[in-house]
Amino acid sequence: MFVLPPPPRYPSQAAYNLAVQNGQAAPMIETNNILSHPTGPEYQLVVGEGTYTLKDDLHLATPPPHPSEAPIVNPNPLATTPQPATAGTKLSLLSLSSRSSPPFLYRVGTNQSTRSNLNSSIQEHPSEGRASGDQFPPSSDGGYTSATGSARATLSIGSAPAFGEGNTFLSATSKDTGKRRKPKNNIAKSNSSFISRCIVHENLAKRLQDRPAEGYFAFANINRAFQWIDLASPQKAEHLTKILFTKGHCLCHDINQVTKSQSHIDLIMGFSTGEIIWYEPISQKYTRLNKNGLINATPVSEIRWIPGSENLFLAAHVDGSLVVYDKEKEDFPFSPDEHSSPTNENSETANGESDSSTKLQIDKSVHSRNQKTNPVSFWKLSNQRINAFEFSPDNRHIAVVSEDGVLRIIDYLKEELLDVFSSYYGGFICVCWSPDGKYVLTGGQDDLVSIWSVAEAMIVARCQGHQSWVTAVCFDPWRCDDRNYRFGSVGEDCRLLLWDFSVGMLHKPKTSSVRQRGSISSRLANPLQRAETPNTSMFRSNSVVSVDGEYEHTIQHDVEPRATTATLPPVMSKVIDPDPLCWLEFTEESIITSCKSGHIRTWDRPRDTSDSDVISSST
Amino acid sequence: MSGIFGIKKWGGVASGAMSPGVTSPSKGKKDAEPEPEITPLVKMLQHAGPIRNDGSDKFYGMENDQYAKYYSYCNSIVQALYYSVPFREHVVKYPPHSPYDTPNGHPPIVTPIRAPIQNGAAVSPKPKGISAAEAMKRRAAVNAGQPVPAQAGQKPEDKPDSPEYKKKHAMLAGPILELTYENASSYGMEESTFTALKDIFMALIANNSRTGVLSPQRFLEIFKRDNEMFRTSMHQDAHEFYGLVLNAVISNVEANSHRLKEIEPPRDDHSLALSMKAAVTSAATAMGLASGTRSPGTGWVHDIFEGVLTSETKCLTCETASQRDETFLDLSIDLEEHSSVTSCLRKFSAEEMLCERNKFHCDNCGGLQEAEKRMKIKRLPKILALHLKRFKYTEDMTRLQKLFHRVVYPYHLRMFNTTDDAEDPDRLYELYAVVVHIGGNAYHGHYVSVIKTQDRGWLLFDDEMVEPVDKSYVRNFFGDKPGQACAYVLFYQETTVEAMRQEMEAEGPTEVVTATKQQETANGHPQPNGTYPASVSKPVSASPPEENREFVSLDHAVSSPLPMSNHTIPRILPTAASPQVPILDAAKVKTKEAKEREKKELKEAEKARKVAEKERQKAEEQKKKEAMQTRKDLLKSQDAEVKRALAASKHSAAEEEERRKREVGSSTSTSETGKENGHAEKGFARGLGRAHKGSKSMSRKSFGFLGSKYGEAKTHTDDSNTAVEGDSGPQTPEKHSKSTKDRFSFSGLGRKKSNLI
Repeated sequence: MFVLPPPPRYPSQAAYNLAVQNGQAAPMIETNNILSHPTGPEYQLVVGEGTYTLKDDLHLATPPPHPSEAPIVNPNPLATTPQPATAGTKLSLLSLSSRSSPPFLYRVGTNQSTRSNLNSSIQEHPSEGRASGDQFPPSSDGGYTSATGSARATLSIGSAPAFGEGNTFLSATSKDTGKRRKPKNNIAKSNSSFISRCIVHENLAKRLQDRPAEGYFAFANINRAFQWIDLASPQKAEHLTKILFTKGHCLCHDINQVTKSQSHIDLIMGFSTGEIIWYEPISQKYTRLNKNGLINATPVSEIRWIPGSENLFLAAHVDGSLVVYDKEKEDFPFSPDEHSSPTNENSETANGESDSSTKLQIDKSVHSRNQKTNPVSFWKLSNQRINAFEFSPDNRHIAVVSEDGVLRIIDYLKEELLDVFSSYYGGFICVCWSPDGKYVLTGGQDDLVSIWSVAEAMIVARCQGHQSWVTAVCFDPWRCDDRNYRFGSVGEDCRLLLWDFSVGMLHKPKTSSVRQRGSISSRLANPLQRAETPNTSMFRSNSVVSVDGEYEHTIQHDVEPRATTATLPPVMSKVIDPDPLCWLEFTEESIITSCKSGHIRTWDRPRDTSDSDVISSST
Repeated sequence: MSGIFGIKKWGGVASGAMSPGVTSPSKGKKDAEPEPEITPLVKMLQHAGPIRNDGSDKFYGMENDQYAKYYSYCNSIVQALYYSVPFREHVVKYPPHSPYDTPNGHPPIVTPIRAPIQNGAAVSPKPKGISAAEAMKRRAAVNAGQPVPAQAGQKPEDKPDSPEYKKKHAMLAGPILELTYENASSYGMEESTFTALKDIFMALIANNSRTGVLSPQRFLEIFKRDNEMFRTSMHQDAHEFYGLVLNAVISNVEANSHRLKEIEPPRDDHSLALSMKAAVTSAATAMGLASGTRSPGTGWVHDIFEGVLTSETKCLTCETASQRDETFLDLSIDLEEHSSVTSCLRKFSAEEMLCERNKFHCDNCGGLQEAEKRMKIKRLPKILALHLKRFKYTEDMTRLQKLFHRVVYPYHLRMFNTTDDAEDPDRLYELYAVVVHIGGNAYHGHYVSVIKTQDRGWLLFDDEMVEPVDKSYVRNFFGDKPGQACAYVLFYQETTVEAMRQEMEAEGPTEVVTATKQQETANGHPQPNGTYPASVSKPVSASPPEENREFVSLDHAVSSPLPMSNHTIPRILPTAASPQVPILDAAKVKTKEAKEREKKELKEAEKARKVAEKERQKAEEQKKKEAMQTRKDLLKSQDAEVKRALAASKHSAAEEEERRKREVGSSTSTSETGKENGHAEKGFARGLGRAHKGSKSMSRKSFGFLGSKYGEAKTHTDDSNTAVEGDSGPQTPEKHSKSTKDRFSFSGLGRKKSNLI
């Protein structure tokens, strides 16, 4: 297909002419996405359950630099001018049907809340949208001492309270749910200097109407472009809409699973300039938030809707702050000085030292009375770049990983830091929860995927198999049951690895000798012992924070030596792309991966019929 | 633009050169009138507290040949060595007292201050080396003024913000430390690579200015005296240089302590009885041997850089497993596309089959057999140098090509490939220096180093130029960015989790600055180094972190073997390595205090900085337009420069060659072949002892690129070598192993510590 670009709306004709004179006529020609169907044994993943085969490879077109920008090509390799932040292609998947929801494995006699009906379709991370009515105990919240699942008793789980519940100042906004509110500005007619232009497919309305209900939409960022693609369409390569921004790169985006419908999609995007755009693709409307970095001027590295909320979303800025915004509120300049002082009393009492890494610095609480404007809340975790976070399936916790190699488990409803774990070495890049909320996976610059047990507050295993940094991890909920878990990971080594771990295997006590070592500080109790003490768990299931002082609860957990940590080998490892990978997702039918240069690859799950042929041909 | 603009700039430069008075370097540039050209480095150092006497706050560029970057291999490595705290401290302290000083009680450590501060054409020193003289001439010409600006339009160094401009500026700003004579005698040592290196360190520490330029000319002359293959004008290998320098330091120090011990045993001006002393000495010797060092008092070099590799070989015929330990000063690791250093290290220790031409001589079976071998690390060094083997022979073995693989390296590292009985196998390392090679192949290019200083964050050392850079800048050299700049040698030093956490906390503002800077770039603002973290520029905060660091570094010592110096000459004890164990507790307490103090200060500083930043941003908005213009010019100019820089070695090769010939011709009678291999062989033939030792302790792969081909089978001339080492077998050193054996065992046997089972 060839889309004739609309007339350029560059800031000045002069800049445009200059670009042309410099031999950059190229910017006017929009390259197209390319769909290819490579076949052969190198495009197959052989695992125990069968063979995954590459369905297609969609290569997103990388947009040329904006003509008004001075060419960024600096031939001096030592130039100290900082590079603008950018990110590889990541996808937000959206399915409007309820059929393809991940199996809720542990839900026997489910008592779903009404809200969960909306949730029950595929989410960007299948675990994320777990309805709060899930009967399975949110182990990170209740203090279950073992992972044997015995402790599903005491806690009445009900639905997790909404974020900021009880704050009347906050709840004032979300009335009138009958009709979805749309953003204000039309993106196609925008004269904003932030948006270069928006290319809409000529048959957009028709395509939206004709498409099957089951298929996935994908929203993908590449460089300064942002595309809306219909993965179910035979014309997959033709984007539904494509937005080109002038200089900001979209680094992260998320779809609101609560508000989505045939006529409404709430999409939130975080940018390298720190700005955030709330975008409704069907009506082509948008609103800018944190405009010009009014609230926080550092790039947004991760952004997600708060589960169950129509308006609120959480953005991680690279300066180490987590900020909750309301999509409909005005920005107001924020300075942390006005903040309410109380931080995490919990940590202060437990850990005598005023180590800022063990408490959550709340610069603005969700319970603040001033909720007329953004930010809704503002937490400062550290000074280090936050690389990723994810909400727990029970909607009570977030797992946050950062560049300094720290994993934090935060009870965001209570605004309280629960646990701090450290990587073996190097920064953490990605994080995800297991579908049942028991485990957290991290991937990082130590080339490892680490499995953490939230309930026991300890590392479970280190998964060794990547040959470079691990950039994305994700559970495959279709291949998880109550004792066995399947997850995948991708990395800078261009590899996709699949892993299986089972609870029984992991809880085998490791009997190798523990020696005292200098660099592994032994200041705190052995996490293993801690998990065994009933007191600790008592505390953790206790909702009253103030009693914890007497218990030996430690928030900061030390690095476990290599000799005492279980390791897990992958069940499959394969180079699946010429470029470093950066994103991974499981759907019912396939594994979808994407790489830094914009290749979106869909790997079909094994089919029973063709299994034998495929295997024989691949070997 | 260039004509007027250049001259105008030049005016500024000239006045700048005059102003930082030659006579009062202490006043220096810091308080100098607000010149237009305050470099980012000087800006960063504004309001710094009093100069410390450990040399940790000296940031000197190192002079290079103006046109061809012949010596950047030296400059980058010397800088990396200087900022290794334990190494610097030991080099400074090493000859604890020379016989000449003992009467006075205290050695006159200030001697290197004699280094003349050559600012301007005024004082021309005695012509030492030709190239030094030439450099002086050139400098004189530059300072004289007029001819150079006349051709300004074409010169890259006249474009502001270009590296050349900054380097020239650094030279003009001075002070330039010219080490024209050796101080070896004042250390009680013969002139050697070690003393020359010590001269450099001492001169830097002794000088009153925080910034400046140092000429490594004398050091290079001495080094070249011993290493013939470095006498050419060819592009040299920085890693090889590193190995040779380190080995030279080791042998110099060992030779010296031997000499001291043997020549003048009755050194009992202190109160120790002779018998006592004898006992101590003998005990020390015994200990020294036991811990793998030969000479007492010299263990520090080994302690810092040396690790032990165990190669476990299992004969596939008789199933006998044998172990062999060898020491290493660095690890040379093979690279793969899209991998990490961690993974490359894993590969390094992966099992390997010894078969075909590479068979293993099994003592048990008595013949060459197929075997399985793997290399593991038995003892981790304090400073871990990782040599990324970016230079590899092409298929036809005719040329070395450069691998531009993307190899990522983390800021922190632990080693996976340790033996089961290794001490502290989870030791944490932090990246502190990256030596970067810029260029398309092994035959020309340029080296720079990016180094983490104790309390000034990361700095880029590009010959004369020193510039603060962002932490994320370190990641520009994975190998995938355009511009042919790749990390070549990585220096990791041991650290602790506590130290790391503390640093991360203190580090924060940098990240904020990053973001702000990103915004700046987005706005098209050319100023790359606008601000620096408040923690850094604030005067008060300068001292507490330093304290911390010192203690932290002492902390490290706990997990490492006890330094030998403790057992040697009792009198050295307090100075050399004393505060290690005993003070530890106090140190920790203090650290906490200091930490708190520091944090408070940080917060204050942060506030102040934010206010300042807001103001600055306003101002920047106004400048935006002109900035855009400047930026465009800049980009154009940079384009030209880099081309020039990269081609530089080619361009003036002929010129340099000639100069070199004259020089060499006078000292040596050998004629230059001009070919790499020719040099290499000669080098080995002449400086054989050193080079060979290098090959031993530099591990098997270090010299691979010199003479041997990758993967080629090794000759099995040496029967004592039961295990046939290495896939990339350094052939050349191996050949000479017999002839150098005596020498090797003399000084290196202790280190070798082979336990053949």
